[in-house]
Amino acid sequence: MTTENLLGSQVKRLLTSLSDHGNQHLTEVETDLVQTTYLLSEAIDKLGASFMAIHDGISAQKELVDLLLDGTAATPESQERIKALQDEVARHVNAAVTGLQFQDMTSQLIGRTVRRIAGLRDVLGAVGASSAGMASECKQEETAAALSEISKALEEQSAKLESVLWKAVSQTHMESGDIELF
Amino acid sequence: MAKSILAVDDSGSLRQMVVFSLRAAGYQVTEAVDGQDGLDKAKAQVFDLVLTDQNMPRMDGLTLIRSLRALPTYQRVPILMLTTESSDEMKSKGRAAGANGWLVKPFDPQRLTEVVKKVIG
Repeated sequence: MTTENLLGSQVKRLLTSLSDHGNQHLTEVETDLVQTTYLLSEAIDKLGASFMAIHDGISAQKELVDLLLDGTAATPESQERIKALQDEVARHVNAAVTGLQFQDMTSQLIGRTVRRIAGLRDVLGAVGASSAGMASECKQEETAAALSEISKALEEQSAKLESVLWKAVSQTHMESGDIELF
Repeated sequence: MAKSILAVDDSGSLRQMVVFSLRAAGYQVTEAVDGQDGLDKAKAQVFDLVLTDQNMPRMDGLTLIRSLRALPTYQRVPILMLTTESSDEMKSKGRAAGANGWLVKPFDPQRLTEVVKKVIG
């Protein structure tokens, strides 16, 4: 390989690597943010529905209690109705408790996104620091060798970043999860 | 006397939901903010059940389970994982570490209570 070809090949490798790794990390960031949006949206919808249902259930109970206090509705049917309303409110409270767990999941996703962006900044910083160390007037072989080192450092930093970021949240819906007893 | 449960999770809102659900069912719940805090509290008092998250600062759930199983007082105490992790690989690791069950978040309070009742009564 000629010196010009060697240099061109190293420039190409560095730019391709920069593009591929940058693209990979930004795609992950985009995916995590979209997942966060889904979870938040569904949680807010469910919490809103639970809130309204709890409000309706409590209002209906209050009307019945008022009638009972007046002494006009103390029947077995009204007692059954109160019990049914209490069960309904409890069911909606349970649904709200499930919905309220969105904060735990979304904070994990946001935390992962923040760590990835910080890591990506470090990767780019390392590339910048390496290139700053290159003499502007050096032989093409030296430049090619320096570019090769920068590419290697970029790939290592990027792989290291990926390895420390676990994908803990795969959920895209606020439905209660599986239970398995061993 | 009410059965005692140690709930270990770094998310305050999640612990709040666990406490709300299990206290309503008559259990006494103690909170721990991460695995290390959970281990310290478990050494100070023997609980009837430990419910732990996986990904936490200082000490994760699997390390906590292994540490607890190394203690003579926790060799038979049921330990359940409550985590967003749902892969078979992680479940296998949990089982190997000594977990008795795996619950994937988000949890439904009624189902959580049913499982806890089934495990410790």
